[in-house]
Amino acid sequence: MSRRNARVPHRETRVSTGAGVRRATWGALRARRPAVTRLVGWSVVEALPALLSGALVARAVDAGFLAGRLNVGLGWLGLLAGAVLIGAVATGRTYRSLGAVVEPFRDDLAGRVVRAALRDATRVGGRADTASAARLTHQVELVRDTFAGLLMVTRGFLFAAGAALLGLVALDPVMAALVAAPLVVGLAVFLAALPAMAGQQRRYVRAGEELGRAAATALSGHRDVRACGATERVVADVGRRVADQAAAERTLARMSAVRSLSLGLGGWLPLAVLLLAAPWLVDRGLTAGAVLGALIYVSTGLQPALHALVQGLGGGGLRYVVTLDRILRTCPDDEPDPPPAAPSAAPSDQPADGPPSARDASPAAPRDASPAAARIHRLTFRYGAAARPVLADVTLTLPPGEHLAVVGASGAGKSTLAALLSGLLVPQAGTVLLGGVPVATAPPAALARLRVLVPQEAYVFTGSLADNLRYLRPEADDDTVAAAVEVLGARTLVARLGGLGGTVTPDAISAGERQLLAAVRAYLSPAPLVILDEATCHLDPAAEATVEDAFARRPGTLVVIAHRISSAVRARRVLVVDGERPVTGTHEELLGLSATYRELVGHWTDHPTPAPQH
Amino acid sequence: MPTGDGMFRRVVRDAGGWTAALAAITLTGALAELLLPAVLGVAVDAALTGGSRWWPAAVCALVAVLVATDTLADLASGYGAARATARLRERLLRHLFALDVRAARRHPVGDLVGRLVGQAADAGQAGTTVVLGAIALLPPLGSVVALTLIEPALGVTLLAGLVLLAGLMRAFVTDASAATAGYQRALNSIAGRLLESLAGARTIAAAGTHRREAQRVLAALPELGANGRRGWELLARASARTAAVAPLLQLGVVAVGGYALTAGWLTPGQLVSAVRYAAIGAGLGAVLAGLNRLVRSRSGAARVAEVLAYPVPTDGDRRLPAGRGALRLTAVSVYADDGRPVLDGVDLTVPAGVTVAVVGPSGAGKSTLAAVAGRLHDPDSGEVCLDGVPLPRLRPDELRRAVGYAFDRPALVGATVHDAIGLALPRDEAAPPADGSSAAPAVRRAAEAAAVADVVDRLPAGFRTPLADTPLSGGEAQRLGLARAFAGADRLLILDDATSSLDTVTEHRIARAVTGRPGERTRLVVTHRAATAAAADLVAWLDGGRLRALAPHRRLWADPAYRAVFRTDGAPR
Repeated sequence: MSRRNARVPHRETRVSTGAGVRRATWGALRARRPAVTRLVGWSVVEALPALLSGALVARAVDAGFLAGRLNVGLGWLGLLAGAVLIGAVATGRTYRSLGAVVEPFRDDLAGRVVRAALRDATRVGGRADTASAARLTHQVELVRDTFAGLLMVTRGFLFAAGAALLGLVALDPVMAALVAAPLVVGLAVFLAALPAMAGQQRRYVRAGEELGRAAATALSGHRDVRACGATERVVADVGRRVADQAAAERTLARMSAVRSLSLGLGGWLPLAVLLLAAPWLVDRGLTAGAVLGALIYVSTGLQPALHALVQGLGGGGLRYVVTLDRILRTCPDDEPDPPPAAPSAAPSDQPADGPPSARDASPAAPRDASPAAARIHRLTFRYGAAARPVLADVTLTLPPGEHLAVVGASGAGKSTLAALLSGLLVPQAGTVLLGGVPVATAPPAALARLRVLVPQEAYVFTGSLADNLRYLRPEADDDTVAAAVEVLGARTLVARLGGLGGTVTPDAISAGERQLLAAVRAYLSPAPLVILDEATCHLDPAAEATVEDAFARRPGTLVVIAHRISSAVRARRVLVVDGERPVTGTHEELLGLSATYRELVGHWTDHPTPAPQH
Repeated sequence: MPTGDGMFRRVVRDAGGWTAALAAITLTGALAELLLPAVLGVAVDAALTGGSRWWPAAVCALVAVLVATDTLADLASGYGAARATARLRERLLRHLFALDVRAARRHPVGDLVGRLVGQAADAGQAGTTVVLGAIALLPPLGSVVALTLIEPALGVTLLAGLVLLAGLMRAFVTDASAATAGYQRALNSIAGRLLESLAGARTIAAAGTHRREAQRVLAALPELGANGRRGWELLARASARTAAVAPLLQLGVVAVGGYALTAGWLTPGQLVSAVRYAAIGAGLGAVLAGLNRLVRSRSGAARVAEVLAYPVPTDGDRRLPAGRGALRLTAVSVYADDGRPVLDGVDLTVPAGVTVAVVGPSGAGKSTLAAVAGRLHDPDSGEVCLDGVPLPRLRPDELRRAVGYAFDRPALVGATVHDAIGLALPRDEAAPPADGSSAAPAVRRAAEAAAVADVVDRLPAGFRTPLADTPLSGGEAQRLGLARAFAGADRLLILDDATSSLDTVTEHRIARAVTGRPGERTRLVVTHRAATAAAADLVAWLDGGRLRALAPHRRLWADPAYRAVFRTDGAPR
C-alpha cells in the first residue's frame, strides 16, 4: 500500500464560500459580454407583452367591450396578440444567446476539472482520483444546467416584473406603489433567507453523499460483515447516516416553507391590497378596465415572475452555488507554470550546474568527467510523520552502464525506491542525483530527459499506435520506431494492431500487450537511465527476458524492480530490499550474504512460473 | 410479504400524521384557490358599483388561507417524506444485513445501494405524491367547470387551447432526445479519455506531460459545444412556441369574454374571474406532468419491496458446549439457481484442532463448502454441526465468535485500518487505545500474525490511517483480511483461498498462523497450492461437488489425478 497512498493535504481551505462562486459567475458573464448584451436586448423585447398586457386589456374593456364597440375591443386585443408573437420570437432568441454564454462557461469548467485531475494525479506524492470523471459528467453538467436556469429566471424576473410595474405606473401610479410595497417585502424576506438556504442545501447534499458512500462500503462488505458478526455495528453505523439525512431533509422542508411564505407575501398580498384599495381607487376615478388591467399585471406578470424567481433561486440556484463551490474547491486554478526548464539539462552539458553541496563531495565519490548515472545519498523516506521509515539512510551509486535488479518481498519498498530515484517522491532526508543533476530541483521536462520510469500499470491511450510509441520522443522516425519494435519482440503485436498507423484502445489489448507497448516507448526515450518497475510482470518469462536483454544492451543504465528471480540472475548487481537498509551485491555474493535473498531465490525457484497478477 | 403496491400503501402510512395533515392542508388550499376568482369577480363588481365592502375582505381572507396552506403543505410534505424515507431505509438496511450471503449476492452492490439511497427516497415520497397527485388536479379541473358555468364558450376556448399546448410539449421531448444523445457521446468520450490518463498517471508524472494530456483529453470539447448549442437551438424553438401559445390562450378567453361583456352576458367582475380561471386551467399540463412523480414513487416502492420479500434465515438460541471446534457435515447439498448441484451429498467430519486443506479444480464446490461450514448460508439439504450443535440452532453471536473467515478478496469495512482489523472483535477490544499507543493489543497481535503490522506501521498514521486513504494491493488487502480473521475465530478458522495473492515469501512467513499447530482451533483452508495442502493434517479433495477423498496429502500425492489438481489450477490464476 505504501507506494500509492502518500496523500499530501493539498486542498486549500477557502474562508468564504460565496466569494469564489461569485467571482467565477461574474467572470463567466464578463468574458462573454457580447452574448450577454444580446441576451439582455432580447429580454427587453421579450418583456413587451408583459408591459402592454394590462394597459391594452384596460383599453379594450373601457373603450371597446363596455362601450358596446366589440371591434374596437378586439382590435386592442389583436394588438396585444401581435406583441405576444414578437415577445415569443424574442424568447427564442434569448435561448440562443443563452447557449453562447453557457457553453463556453462549461468549457472553462471542464478544462479546469481535467487539468486539476491530471495535476493531482501527477503531482509529487499525488494519486489518481477517478471521481474526477464523475465530477466532469455530473457536477459540471449540473452547473451548466443550473447556471442557464439561474440566468433565465433572474433576467426573466427583472424584465417581466419591471415591465408589469411600469405598466401599472402608466395605469395609476398610486396603484403601482400599493402593489410594489408587498412585492418588495416578500422579495426581501426571500433574499435574506437565501444564504441560510444555501447552507442547508449543502448539508443536505453532503448527507446524501455520505449515506451513499457508507451504504456502498457496508454493502460491498455484506459477506464479510456477516462473517465477522458485525451486523449490528455496521447497521447502526449506516443507520446514523440515514438519520442525518432525514434531519437534513426536514431542515430543507422548513426552508422551503420559508420560501413559500415569502412567495405568498410577494405574490398574493399585492392582489389583496389592490382589492382592498379598489373601492377607494374607483372613487378617485379608476375605470373598470383599469382595475381589470391592474389585476392582469399582477396575476399574469408579477405573480408568475416572482414564482419563477423564487423556485429557480431556491432550487436550481442553490444547487448551482453548492456544486460550483465544490468544483472550485476540489479543482483549484492552474498553478503558475513551473520555472522554465533549462534549455538542456542533459548531464554532460552542465557539469557546472551540478550540486555544490559539501555533503555530496565525499572522498569515495571523486568528481570526474562522467558522473555516476545515479547517486542516492543518505536517503530516508517515510509516508507520514508518525510512520516508520520505508527506507532509512540509504546510499547507493550506479555507474554508467550499470544493470541493477531490485528484489524483495511485496510491500518491502521496491516501488518506493523507484519513485524516489525518479523524483516522483520527495525524501525527508538525503539527495538523489541523476547524472550529477539533483532530482529535487529539476523541472519535470528536464527529469524526463534524464530517466524514464516504466510502471507496472502500462499507459496506453486511445489513439494511433505511432502516437503511443513516440510519446516520449515525438521526433523519432519510422525506421527508429520499427527497429525498437523489432528489438523488443513487439513486431507481431504491432502488425496485428495494423502497423504504426493503426488505432489502439487500451481495453482492446491485454495487460501484457500494454506492457510491451510501454516498453517500446521507453526504449525510444532519449533518457540514459531506464527504471522498469515490475514493468514486465504480465509478460511470459521468455518475452520478459527479450525485453530486459534489449534494455541491457541499450546504451545507458538499467534498473529493474524484479518480479521474478530470473531478472536478478540476469543483472550485473542485485539490491535486496528488506527492512530499512538494503543490501547490494552480485547474485552469488548475496546467496552468501543475505538470508532474505536465499529465501527469495528458494521460493521463486520452487515456483518457476508464479501467478501473474491480474 | 409486501408487494409493490402493498409497500406503497405501507410507506403512505409510515409518514404517519403528516400524510393526513398534508391532505387536509392541500384540500383547504385547493378549495380556496377555486373560490378566489369567483369572490374576486364579485369584489371587483362591488368596488365598481359601490356594493358591499365585505367582498374585498373575503378576498383577503382567502389569500391568507392560500399563503398559510402553501407554507404548511411544504412543511408537511417534507417532514412526512423524511420520516417515511428514513423508516423505509432502516427497514431495508436491517433486512439486507439479515439476508444470508447467497440472497444478497443476487444483486450487484450498486443495485442495492441504488435501492437503499435512490429508490427508497422515491418511495418515501408516496404520501406526498398521492395527496398532491389527487388534490392538485382539483383547481385546474374545477376552473374548467367554473369557466363553463360562467359562460360555456369560455370553457370550450380553454379546452381547445390546452390540447394545442399538450401537442407542442410532446414535439419538444422527441426532438431534444437526439441532440442529448450526441452531447452525451462527446461528454463520455472526454470522461473516458480522462480515466485512461488517470490510469497512466505514473507514466505521465514521470514524463512530465500532464499539460499535453489535458489537451488530448479535452480534444472533444468543440464537438461537445456544438452539440450543446444544437440543444439550445431546439430549446429556443420549443420555448418560442410555448411562449406564444400560453398567453394567446388567455387572450382568447379575454376576447370571448369581451364579446360576452359587450352582449351583456357578463359583468366586468366576471371577466376578471374568467381570466383567472383560465390561468389556473392552463396549469393542468404541469399538474399532469407531476403525475410522473407518482409513477416513479410507485416503481421505487416496488423495487424496495422486491428485496424486502426475500426471506431471512432464522437463528436459534443455543450456546456451544465445551469443545475445540469439531466440524461435521452430513449429506450436505447446495444447488445453483439453475438447479445444478454445487455440493452433492457431502459428508465430512473434521476432528477438533485439525487443519484440513480443501482442494479441487475450479467449480468443484470448494468455496461453497467453506460458505456452508460457517453458515454464510445454509445448505439446501443436509446438516452442518459445530461441536455437535447444528449451526441454525446456535445464537448468532455465539456462532460468529466461534467461527472466523478470511477470503480471497476481502472487503475491508471500517473507518480506519484499525477498525477493519477489529471488525470481528467485541466492540471494547476493537476500539483503538485511548492512551495514544498505535493499536489495541488484540489488533496488533492479529496484524503481526498476518505479517502486515510492518506494512501498517509505515502508513501515514499507522493503524489509525483512514481506509479511504489506503489503496491496497491484492496481497495487502488479503493480509488485512487474514488479520481480521485471526482476531475473531475461537474454534474454527475458515480461509477461502485467502493467501492467493501473497508472494511466496510472505506466505511462508504466515504459514504457521494459517496452518497452525496441533491442538489449536480447527482450520478449513481452501487452497490451490500444493505446499499449503502438504502442510495440512488432512486434505479434502472435492470433485464435481462430491468429496472424492479425505486423507493426508502425501498419501493422495501418489494419485496422478490428485497431482493434476495443482498442475492445472495452481499455476496461472
